[in-house]
Amino acid sequence: MDTPDLQCPYQESRLKTTSSLVNQAKSNITNGILKKRNLVWLELNGCSGNIISLLNGQDPDFQYLITQMTNFIYSNSLIAAEGTAAIDQLFSVIGSDYILAVEGAVSLKDNGAYNIIGRNNGKLVTGLEAVKKLGTSASYVIAVGACATHGGVSAARPNPTHCVGIQSVLQRKVIKLPGCPCHPDWFMGTLAYTLLYGESPLDNRDRPLMFYSTTIHERCPRRSYFDRGIFASKLGEETCMFKIGCRGPVTPIDCPVRQWNGHVNWPIGDDSPCIGCAQFGFPDAMEPFISYDTTREG
Amino acid sequence: MTEKITINPVTRISGFLEIEAEIANNLVVNAQTKGMMFRGFEKMLLGRNPFDAVYFTQRICGICSTAHSMASTLALENAMNFVPTEQGRYLRDIIHGCEFLQNHLRHFYQYTIPDFVKLPEEYPLFKVDHMDYRLPKKLNDKIAKDYFDSLDFSRRAHQMLAILGGKAPHNHGIFIGGITSQATIDKIISLKSILSEIQTFINEIMIPDVYEIANYYSEYYQIGKGYGNLLSYGCFYNYKDLGTLYVNPLVYANNTISVFNPDDITQDNEYAFFDYKNDPDIQKQHAYSWVKAPRYNNVPFEVGPLARQWLSGEYRHGISVMDRTIARVLEAGKIASVLKILIDNLIPGVSVQKEYVVPEKSSGRGLVDTTRGALGHWVYIDDGKISFYQIITPSAWNLSTQTGNMKGTAEQAIIGAPVSNISSPVEIGRIIRSFDPCVSCATHVYTGGELINSIQVV
Repeated sequence: MDTPDLQCPYQESRLKTTSSLVNQAKSNITNGILKKRNLVWLELNGCSGNIISLLNGQDPDFQYLITQMTNFIYSNSLIAAEGTAAIDQLFSVIGSDYILAVEGAVSLKDNGAYNIIGRNNGKLVTGLEAVKKLGTSASYVIAVGACATHGGVSAARPNPTHCVGIQSVLQRKVIKLPGCPCHPDWFMGTLAYTLLYGESPLDNRDRPLMFYSTTIHERCPRRSYFDRGIFASKLGEETCMFKIGCRGPVTPIDCPVRQWNGHVNWPIGDDSPCIGCAQFGFPDAMEPFISYDTTREG
Repeated sequence: MTEKITINPVTRISGFLEIEAEIANNLVVNAQTKGMMFRGFEKMLLGRNPFDAVYFTQRICGICSTAHSMASTLALENAMNFVPTEQGRYLRDIIHGCEFLQNHLRHFYQYTIPDFVKLPEEYPLFKVDHMDYRLPKKLNDKIAKDYFDSLDFSRRAHQMLAILGGKAPHNHGIFIGGITSQATIDKIISLKSILSEIQTFINEIMIPDVYEIANYYSEYYQIGKGYGNLLSYGCFYNYKDLGTLYVNPLVYANNTISVFNPDDITQDNEYAFFDYKNDPDIQKQHAYSWVKAPRYNNVPFEVGPLARQWLSGEYRHGISVMDRTIARVLEAGKIASVLKILIDNLIPGVSVQKEYVVPEKSSGRGLVDTTRGALGHWVYIDDGKISFYQIITPSAWNLSTQTGNMKGTAEQAIIGAPVSNISSPVEIGRIIRSFDPCVSCATHVYTGGELINSIQVV
């Protein structure tokens, strides 16, 4: 497998950011320095792929998250209860101290009618209504994945259900973790930081600097090919994929060093271009994803 | 006296679903399954570069994204008149198989088990809302432990997927020709090693667990049959050298198995929120769901693991909630053995990629059975861009709305079921989850107001 050179101690410590933060948070909880906080995971108009990505988390994994790190109150995909009991549990957090994680976009069309998340006292609850209600009184709000951070694929043109990111309907700070899906480490690390020290240092678009500060291009293991002008003309080649549409140069995220699914691979390692899924503007601003035409001009 | 109950949200599924049921004398006499979300992928795809459909359509679904990369790739290859190599097929079918394992492990443990097994209640996520837990404490606690242990194996299934597919969810590997990358010796041995661990878990833990549950909830062999019509587009089949490793395109109705004919698929929207032009219309009278009504020879069909296990002859015990659940678990074991054969037949270092050209004008269809059942993508290309795209998902078959007086597949399975306690109708949730619904997938719109039976498919 393509493993980038990890000799640099700086990069090594960056890679371990998530697990070291999480371990610190856990030990502070165990020693009574920190109280376990409530966490609500709200799914809106999207593919529910971020909760699946979260289940792929490792050190910490999902079990650790729900048993050691937080009181995990709600997830439509995972909660044992259903119907009224589930929705009551969701809204029971209002008035308490809780962190709200949201995946999926907010559909605005017809006052939110295209995304119903349940019934409360018999009345349909739209995603729009739920995120406003829960987002206003949460201690922290974390937008997880492209749809929640800026609309993502749910808002792709012509945006049939008028989807927007959750910031558009909340008058407060929203920590943004773009990605399609969000890497489990980006979420776990951000959450652990929040539990330990409060809001993590963010860039001017509210992305945690610990994950989003450096573009893929800057740390790409194929960078030397770019520098020498050796470009792939099709998928499956081991050189720079800039000319077949790679969005690494415009996408600030740590995929080259973190990689995916237990660090075994990542899109560029798979001989396919980055499609910029962790950058605002995905997908429309990143298309075409794959284009053979640009090489012909070169 | 008839009483009406509503369950919303139906949790532990992908997406948002409401079920409304009328109950008389503790039996369900009427039911509606209602898809509660809509995004409109077919409209979004218009005008885009056809190749982008492979990555774009995966975003329909976070739990089964690989399925959409398969169907879109098959549709594009069909439109390009391109036939992949056998090595290319093995490689992408391995990725697809890993997605089956991830889905079935998570559906059984994270979505189904909480219906029957009490998980540690000190965690808010596992607070119970019914009392029908029957397993002796020791067995209950064993399966509750397996719930957590399974997380490692579903994660590893996605890890296998990423070894060939770059990442999961939303892989980069599956593409025209097979996959973007190549199989190398180190990748092959990683796949084999992880697969062997997953296979052991399925055979030694997961399969015994489902039979334990079946023992204590045996009346579920009689609940939730529905129409009993079964359909598969086929998967892991018709390899040049390996033949059919799992199931051919077949249908089962009226006690007869026959060959599936794609031209007999139609789709209706009588009770779905779409107007006569097939544009979304939330005001439409009598409409109750975003899911349309696919039909085969004008009748509803069930798709998914039980349909495949039945049609391939692997499992024919019956059609019910419990049979569906057992068939899914057994299928996980079957897929693991198919994967082993495919991996053993890989030739390292074979590149299957070329510089492809988008046809100026063409059309194609990609039909494949995937985790939840039969999935179809249809594409028209005009001026080198997508001019029409249509998706009919497995959950559109299973959660289909009514046509005339004919109920959808899951609706029919719910009707006639007993509900012993109307204030906690646990039976209904168990029936619907046996279909493994994915509503994020199921709700789609046509473009151009064309009917599927008018599409001239190549």
